[in-house]
Amino acid sequence: MQKAFHRRFLIVILLLLATASCFAALPRPVGYVNDFANVIGRDHRQQMEDVATSLKEEHGVELAVVTIRTAAPLTPKDYATQLFNEWGIGGPEDSGLLILLSVDDREIQVEVGYGLEGVLPDGKVGAILDQAVVPHLAKGEYGQGLLAGAKVFKGELAGEHYELGRREDDWLVAFIIFILIAVIVTYLYRRQEPKGPGGTVHRPRPVRVPRFPHGGGGGFGGFGGGRSGGGGAGRKF
Amino acid sequence: MRKGLIIVGVVVLVFLVAFISQYNSLVTLETNVDARWAQVENQLQRRADLIPNLVNTVKGYASHEERVFSEIAAARSRLLAAGDPGARMEANNSLDAALGRLLAIAESYPELKADASFIRLQDELAGTENRIAVERMRYNESVETWNRAIRRFPTVIFAGLLGKGARPYFQAAEGAREVPQVQF
Repeated sequence: MQKAFHRRFLIVILLLLATASCFAALPRPVGYVNDFANVIGRDHRQQMEDVATSLKEEHGVELAVVTIRTAAPLTPKDYATQLFNEWGIGGPEDSGLLILLSVDDREIQVEVGYGLEGVLPDGKVGAILDQAVVPHLAKGEYGQGLLAGAKVFKGELAGEHYELGRREDDWLVAFIIFILIAVIVTYLYRRQEPKGPGGTVHRPRPVRVPRFPHGGGGGFGGFGGGRSGGGGAGRKF
Repeated sequence: MRKGLIIVGVVVLVFLVAFISQYNSLVTLETNVDARWAQVENQLQRRADLIPNLVNTVKGYASHEERVFSEIAAARSRLLAAGDPGARMEANNSLDAALGRLLAIAESYPELKADASFIRLQDELAGTENRIAVERMRYNESVETWNRAIRRFPTVIFAGLLGKGARPYFQAAEGAREVPQVQF
């Protein structure tokens, strides 16, 4: 009975996943640097990962660098906005930054999360692209250009700090409430237990400890659910 | 006799419960539409605030293009004066057109195009256009949900009782947004 239910449940989940993946042709994130177009050298990639890691640890900002061949049928800007919100770059304060390089469209787009719009207004993003990034891209030095951009953005965020990972707190609160309820329910149950002999022995169910949504142990654990509304700037090169 | 009363009571109760849940879900949906519209308004306001700066910068290089400047000023004040969403959408579309002409003019002034503050303002403007597009899309999605909900049975009855009608979509003006250019 329960097994059949489980199987049905599994099928439903799989079907949902299948429809979800049909809807979104967007790729899944593999790290802070997602070189889907394969244009970044190993050295540059490593340095960008380092920049992104320190951005997250020092400033609570999530940076994603993405390269794709083309955004078609979308414009690179729309692609960036959708990808940003699909991945949820940035934490509960929407402190996310996405640098999208669309190689065959010859276009770079920077999407700024709601939380960073004050520090990185569109005009400043555009100027940074003009000064630090586009000159490299025009010469075909994609890795170099993206790294330079990431570094300048990090410099602009000096002195800022945002909260990340409220999820764990929520999880903790939920867990405490769950325990409290479980204790109260068991307590009430106990009191109502039939006192007469031969009554069924009430065995409390084993409490199953829920797991953390993403495994610890370092490495890339997904983004924190940040949102953006189309802010940022872009350049053709 | 008593049996009849009980039956009537049950029917009334069922109706009441249904009404409450319908009402609450309608309130949720309508609040969502209003909140989305407020976001659109935010961005429209943001752009209206940018325009005087942009116009002044362009004036510094192309002072004789009076006609476009007055067009923009008129469209902008129409937008700020417009009260209901329908009028605001219309005013916004005419502002879109006027802004398009202003930026087309800028194309023929190389010095203006190289001006740092003009570049910055253009970035701000483009970013705001994108924000408007995003918020408009989100608004339209919420309107779609709302309009679908109030046409469905039995919600259609409750919506009628409460006097709730369909909300308008926010359509972009023809050619207002840059059409992505296909290059071969």
